[in-house]
Amino acid sequence: MNERSIIDSIEKNFGKMKCIHEERKIWINSESKELINLCRYIKELGFEHLSAISVTDFIEKGEYELCYFLWSYEHRISLILKVRTGRKTPVMDSVSGIWDEAQIHEREIHELFGVEFRGNQDLSELFLEEWKLGPPFRKDFDWRDHVRRKYYKKGARERSYFEGGA
Amino acid sequence: MKEKSPVEMGYELLFGPGHPGSGNFSVKLRLDGEKIISARADPGYLHRGFEKLMEYRTPMQNAVLSDRICVFEPLAWNLVHAEAVDKLMDIEIPERAKYIRVIMAELSRIQSHLIWYGSMSAGTGFDTGFKLAFGYRDYILDIFEAVTGGRLYPAGYICPGGVRRDIPNGIEKKILWVLDKADKMKFLERIENPFLRSRMKGIGLLKTEDAIRLGATGPVLRSSGMKSDVRKDDPYEVYGGLDFEVPSLRDGDAYSRYLIGIREIEESIGIIKHALKSMPEGRLKTIKPGFTRIPEGEAYVRNEVARGEACIHMVSDGSEKPYRCKIRGPSLLHMIPVLEYLLKGQQIADVPAIYWSLNPCPADTDR
Repeated sequence: MNERSIIDSIEKNFGKMKCIHEERKIWINSESKELINLCRYIKELGFEHLSAISVTDFIEKGEYELCYFLWSYEHRISLILKVRTGRKTPVMDSVSGIWDEAQIHEREIHELFGVEFRGNQDLSELFLEEWKLGPPFRKDFDWRDHVRRKYYKKGARERSYFEGGA
Repeated sequence: MKEKSPVEMGYELLFGPGHPGSGNFSVKLRLDGEKIISARADPGYLHRGFEKLMEYRTPMQNAVLSDRICVFEPLAWNLVHAEAVDKLMDIEIPERAKYIRVIMAELSRIQSHLIWYGSMSAGTGFDTGFKLAFGYRDYILDIFEAVTGGRLYPAGYICPGGVRRDIPNGIEKKILWVLDKADKMKFLERIENPFLRSRMKGIGLLKTEDAIRLGATGPVLRSSGMKSDVRKDDPYEVYGGLDFEVPSLRDGDAYSRYLIGIREIEESIGIIKHALKSMPEGRLKTIKPGFTRIPEGEAYVRNEVARGEACIHMVSDGSEKPYRCKIRGPSLLHMIPVLEYLLKGQQIADVPAIYWSLNPCPADTDR
């Protein structure tokens, strides 16, 4: 199967979608409602490997864009599936039932962006420890301010290091 | 209700982060005597938040930052980052720069595999292998010093637009000399150390379907019988025109992972020799993007680093800094799902052998 025939077979089953294809890459924009069915179908097409899941925080539009990066060992083509969800209470169906490796990617995204994945068994802390300030990779999280408040005493930045400030 | 005795309850053992064999990574083992009932990886000791840091810096600053993603192979990560920016900015790379990139990335792969080989040997008590591997690696570091100025960290030598500077005159001869040295590593495969065999043969079995299911890539996947390599399947730079084989082994145990590193070193030596021969002559002129704006759009690049598949997804909103940069390291999958799966049911003495056979890098697990 080549890029065009993969797009055709997906559009035949799920209706017209915004698809772009270049050499060895397919980009598909999808609706979050039919994500699980679409993912099942895509896996049947031979996309066995889920490389990564990424989130882009479009703060002005108030949306999160989730990208699922897939690879087919059989066809040697990458497929990038994009889904949008609201930024305020981001909820998404988990694909960990389809690809086992999704479990760890979703756990990471949940920790860093606060996306809730329905159906994922284990969304416990991964990198952070006892973190209570909200997802740190969101655009509205000011890490400079956080570092200032946590690691510098009040007014410490104004005093010089040699005076025993910081 | 009768209280359970400690033996019945089992006890918990922390492998790392203070353990000399674990290196900034921790695995919580639930034990029943000597047997591991379950293992739970505990990453985060090296989490520096590169994805967030990169949003605050220009591509040329990020090139330097990308060194630190993986401590063992900074040049390979330089290349992944540079390719993502090149794609976004639509920069045409000079042919000679492409060859230099490939040569440096392959040298970086060899030295990373030597670290792997060395630490695997050290983890199983084969000290000769450890010392030999780290000795050979030092020759490669000499080349890095001559070309990039840094023995370990090249400070963004492979940068958007090509490379920072051309390779020095006469370095080709030195590279060939070092490759002949590294080629001698082959004899290690034939040593058949009985002690090493007994510690690694049949330990940590990973079947092909499990390797795919758990997301293993690179040498770990190839030693489980799957012939898959991004350099071959999805060629980037000049890999499409270079002649090389993708080695794969069938057994999928720790010993085959021990052997596949040496096979890959051989292939890398071949790639470098071929690239040195076909590299265009003349001095290199690169146009490096300074503080220019990155055009709006997104790019997704895949590379084969020494540990497996590395990806970067970069989104730009038209400013001079990337809006979002997602980094996918191979070790995240190897060190959490694969390691947890392999350790289950094993003996406690086999933990270092299994752990090191996966070519772990805590730095790129946590990012």
